[in-house]
Amino acid sequence: MFEPVMYTGGVYKHGQMVELVEDLGGYILQKNVMQTEVVLLMLVPIDDMAIVEAKAANLLGKMTRAPLTGTEIATVAPTLAYHHLPHLDCDVAEFLRKRGAKTNMVGLARGVGKRICQLSAYERDLINEHDLAVFILGNYEHCIIEKSKKLYDGIEIPIVVTGAPELRTEDVPNATAYVGSFGRILHHLRHSEELRTLDKLADVIGEVLDNMRKELAKDPPSVAPVRIKKEIEDQVQEIIDSLHPLPITLQMNGARVKLPYEEYHEMIENIKFVEGVTMKEVANVLPSKMRNFILIKAKPKSETGFVI
Amino acid sequence: MEQLETFIVESPDAVGAKTTKTLIQDVLADLSLNRVIGRMKVYVDPVQPVFIFTALLRLTTPAIRLKDFAKVDMGTLGKDEVKIELQREAFTIKLLNKLWEKYGKENIEQRDKKIIIVKVDPLKELDGMKEFVIDEPRQEVLDRLIDAIALRIIPEGFRVRKHELSASHVMFVASEDTLKPEWIQRGKDMLESLRSEEDV
Repeated sequence: MFEPVMYTGGVYKHGQMVELVEDLGGYILQKNVMQTEVVLLMLVPIDDMAIVEAKAANLLGKMTRAPLTGTEIATVAPTLAYHHLPHLDCDVAEFLRKRGAKTNMVGLARGVGKRICQLSAYERDLINEHDLAVFILGNYEHCIIEKSKKLYDGIEIPIVVTGAPELRTEDVPNATAYVGSFGRILHHLRHSEELRTLDKLADVIGEVLDNMRKELAKDPPSVAPVRIKKEIEDQVQEIIDSLHPLPITLQMNGARVKLPYEEYHEMIENIKFVEGVTMKEVANVLPSKMRNFILIKAKPKSETGFVI
Repeated sequence: MEQLETFIVESPDAVGAKTTKTLIQDVLADLSLNRVIGRMKVYVDPVQPVFIFTALLRLTTPAIRLKDFAKVDMGTLGKDEVKIELQREAFTIKLLNKLWEKYGKENIEQRDKKIIIVKVDPLKELDGMKEFVIDEPRQEVLDRLIDAIALRIIPEGFRVRKHELSASHVMFVASEDTLKPEWIQRGKDMLESLRSEEDV
């Protein structure tokens, strides 16, 4: 298993860190250079964490655990109207992105009201393609509880709900976690208090994802998602020309590949790994609900009998 | 005059009332409506569910007519022309747009920065043109106010609405279900109490 971490340090000699992680069999997912500082999002083999930490200390850099790395999160607003967008939803999406997740914003067609809200089949399937959904709800306790009873119908991924009142998670039906002090806010979140609330949200989401990882480790995917990413980058030339943000988006047990399904699914199914297996033996290559992209879901070990 | 002399958000849900208050402040600031509203009372009950918004308005600026910023006169003798001599240039663009719309571009000629000639019969048009409304800041403010209340403040799910709007007050009652007469009555009472505060 890999540990998702973020390294923040100077540009000087950061190449040593990159090489060390790659030599250990880890992966660099993202590298951002900001003037003299560099931020690396990476996956490090859990057994070699001590070596990497020692290297970070040596380079006077900082290692922080970033549990949101390598996940795709849907931030769901009840509608696309000015009531909900842009401020709060964009702030949440942006903040989670800074913490290493890929966020997609979803605006529902008929998500308004506590009695009349509903989710269409397409929206439900689209949200289910993510690792986790954050539902950004409003100001009133009664409305949040009533709405939660039916809005998440059919959603199988963990649901994190935000709202104004401080409620216990048990009080919000169907929610995996609840984070208060949000509500319907029509300004940019920039006060220290508000930023702390965002921090709290990221921590809660991190915990939920960690629990998912633990569950997943009991029956691990036959192929690590980052391995899928690497092989596609090496073997499918066209992905380099894709102008989509993150052409291969990592998920917890798969990846979203931003290439048209009809043209490329066979090519991707037939990708060969050095272990001698092809992609279709270790993963399902499916059409995604998002545009005509490809969704790859790794098969669990219990189905294939091996892990590469 | 002081802005927002009364600003009350009432609700059985105290946290919700507090957040709604911040929300209303944000919207009013965004659309620069702070000076337009004198007193405001809002009542929200999410269990019913009902949202009542009442406010007394302070609309000041009246409509701006052509005669307010220009001299309108006969043009050259013997020709069918009206001459507009601008005294302030601030409204020129709006004026030209309105004139083009009414008389057609070919009939409007701007000889000088401050002189506009309209080729129409002055005997028929002169008096009407003096009263020509160029800008309605009041209407524009009311549009913004409706935008703020109906499209940003009232929760989106509350689609059954009743409103009253005049130059002096505004009242919105909104709900997810059919409106009950007692809610509308409550709105009217809230307005009354605002008015009585104003009179004191």
